[in-house]
Amino acid sequence: MRTKLTPATSTAALGRMLDQLDRELIEASDEDILEAARDLGMNPLMKGSAAFIGLRVPAMAQFADFFDSDALRSVLSMRSAQQSLAPEAERQRKARRLKSEKSIERKDSADK
Amino acid sequence: MRSAIAYMPQIPQLAETKVLRPAEVALALNLISRMDFLRLKAIARLHARGLPPDVGWDDLLQEAFTRAIVGSRRKPQGVPMVAFLAGIMRSLRSEHWRRTRGGPGFRETLRIDHQRDLSRAAELHDPGSDLEQALLAREQIEAIEELFADDPVALAILAGLAEGRSAAQIRAAMKITKIDYDSARKRMRRTLLREGLTCGLN
Repeated sequence: MRTKLTPATSTAALGRMLDQLDRELIEASDEDILEAARDLGMNPLMKGSAAFIGLRVPAMAQFADFFDSDALRSVLSMRSAQQSLAPEAERQRKARRLKSEKSIERKDSADK
Repeated sequence: MRSAIAYMPQIPQLAETKVLRPAEVALALNLISRMDFLRLKAIARLHARGLPPDVGWDDLLQEAFTRAIVGSRRKPQGVPMVAFLAGIMRSLRSEHWRRTRGGPGFRETLRIDHQRDLSRAAELHDPGSDLEQALLAREQIEAIEELFADDPVALAILAGLAEGRSAAQIRAAMKITKIDYDSARKRMRRTLLREGLTCGLN
């Protein structure tokens, strides 16, 4: 005896079909996609590939596509200035550490 | 006294002339890869079948991204992003279908609300919309079957899926091995991907 009643409408049938088929696509590997694209003569790894047609995204999205270029430039220059200062700060920190270690040693020997 | 300076990351201002689409945000935030985008394109194209003509697959995809980014849909831990977005698209499709059929209940319903004068308002369902929906669905099923017209095994699997049968039930009914079943599903996957990638070109 059947335990479940399923509506036999075409809408329900389409719904079930789509729900099952979308799993196939979710599980598709990158290689599957590349092979399917290759069948169509497309190369999704190439910039501006036809595979991305219809998708409302730039062919190769970059940070500069989203953010103001002047603001971006100033942030980048600030970052590079910080990086150039970083070795100097590190050298000073090391020198300070060495100095404090030496003073501790001196103190220890005086105690003895 | 020692002092530490922590450089806070500074986020540059958004370009005033550029308006980000949810999909672009997802890409910029590395929520998905470019391959995932193609995967999602094929999935959106699939779920857009049978939707009203004013709702395109791209609308479905952008809306799924919006719900994920805004947080109206929360991604459960461990669920891959593509599966999560596909789930949103699935429920958006159902939502559209329900709306087409006339309201959330889609059957003739009587609102029971004692607080308002509208307590006796009846939400009548248009039986014609069901018929229209069924015709649309039938048309889409035929379009999907057309994709596998030269593959009788795939067609039989499709029929089984439409009836809500499990893989084991389909294999038993068709008397085919698991290997044959799996290779047919692989062919189907490839066809669906091809179909998904070509859309937008035609």
